[in-house]
Amino acid sequence: MPNRKTNNGQLPASFRDPSGFLFSQGGTLYRQVNRAYEQEYARLMDSGLYEKLVKAGLLIPHVEVEQEPAESEAALRVIQPERVPFISHPYEWSFGQLKDAALATLAIQKRALKQDMSLKDASAYNIQFVRGKATLIDTLSFELYKEGEPWVAYRQFCQHFLAPLALMALTDVRLNQLLRVYIDGVPLDLASELLPSKTRFNFGLLTHIHLHAGAQRRYSGEEVKSRRGSMSRQAMIGLIDSLIASVQKLDWTPRGTEWGNYYDITNYSDAAFEHKKELVRAWTERIQPALVWDLGANNGIFSRVAGESGLYVVSFDIDPAAVEQNYRQAKKDKTGNLLPLLLDLTNPSPAIGWANRERESFGGRGPADLVLALAVIHHLAISNNVPLPQLAEFFAGTGRWLVIEFVPKSDSQVKKLLASRKDIFPTYVREGFETAFKRNFKIHEAVEVRESERVLYLMERV
Amino acid sequence: MHYTPLPYLDPGSGSFLLQLAIAALLGLGVAIRASWGRIKGWFGVKTKPEDDDAESQDE
Repeated sequence: MPNRKTNNGQLPASFRDPSGFLFSQGGTLYRQVNRAYEQEYARLMDSGLYEKLVKAGLLIPHVEVEQEPAESEAALRVIQPERVPFISHPYEWSFGQLKDAALATLAIQKRALKQDMSLKDASAYNIQFVRGKATLIDTLSFELYKEGEPWVAYRQFCQHFLAPLALMALTDVRLNQLLRVYIDGVPLDLASELLPSKTRFNFGLLTHIHLHAGAQRRYSGEEVKSRRGSMSRQAMIGLIDSLIASVQKLDWTPRGTEWGNYYDITNYSDAAFEHKKELVRAWTERIQPALVWDLGANNGIFSRVAGESGLYVVSFDIDPAAVEQNYRQAKKDKTGNLLPLLLDLTNPSPAIGWANRERESFGGRGPADLVLALAVIHHLAISNNVPLPQLAEFFAGTGRWLVIEFVPKSDSQVKKLLASRKDIFPTYVREGFETAFKRNFKIHEAVEVRESERVLYLMERV
Repeated sequence: MHYTPLPYLDPGSGSFLLQLAIAALLGLGVAIRASWGRIKGWFGVKTKPEDDDAESQDE
């Protein structure tokens, strides 16, 4: 993990806000609260707002600790927030995840207003999934509410949440990838242009996106102080209610996509499926990992098997429908130790933001203790033409242990991939696969999956 | 009116002015919803009380 922190341990994702910052000391994560934030911190803690939000699972809990601050001159105190098992980015979330993160932000703002506080930012990066729930992780996001003033985070909320949600629901679900390019959210003029024109007849989208984009264009750089006008508390509540209604109206339900019903059209029998489950269960118990990454997880069936003993599983897939299904299932079952995420393994999340250090890459957030790569190798080796030695090297970088399934050319799924193209993969056979992976791994087990031509391996990085 | 202190993020002039422009309308909406609840109350229709801790993102 290169370049993860600066000299005083300060984390690169936490530098904008003068209220304080995150730093790491001896492997523990702390947050320095600055003196400049004294009043706000006191109001948050003393008004009962902190307790209410934590109880509702909307805010990350923390303890006040006696840790030496990283920058003592500015420091008021140091707090130790609960550690989030895996930091994910908004462009890795499914529609439902982004929607829940948006609603959590608005629910927090409504509760904050009751205690005369208000969110001073509404960044999607401040929300993480903790015990399966969208949770605010930035304890310093609150300011004192001053009646009459508009919401300072309105623009950010619309760019980080409302615009991408509307685009995903009404234009194309893949447009959440715009968040990967625009780190401060989708520009509203772009969203306005890409949304279908019928959205101008929807009060929420008309106001918060189309008119909002127009107002930005028209009043760019104009001084607000000189203008008269005020926003009553009632109007502020009306604004938040209007945003809640606009978000709630947006919906996206996966239809029959390539993978949505993968397990129904798969080529293996129940016996093969059960055998795979047994092996994953037994090997996970044997290794006792703390963090598992399931790469190519589909809707998370094997992630759930690995997570049975309560360890934390991040369940990645390339298909928005599969990730959505996975998230909805986890939410329904209240599975707190499973995080479904969207990821294209052939082009994983890069490090983005200021100096390329603000938001970590996929690999930078590793390694995992155990990586599951089930029914995925043929997509990488054949569809994406990655040579086997490079695949072995990639997997060696992502985790110490690897459970990987080899799918031979005789398998009907691979036959499909080869049907329309020239077979330029002479080494894509079991022996070639083993030779390539032995350079980076020790093969502990190789078991032929019952009633199939596939082989499941348990390997350890050397 | 005078806005203090200045926020650390630029809220955007357009975003501020739009809120001020629609403030009256939004406030009116809240007032109408509240009085509609009261009117329904006269006719014995109970409205869901707003309870903080029952509110949840699970809807």
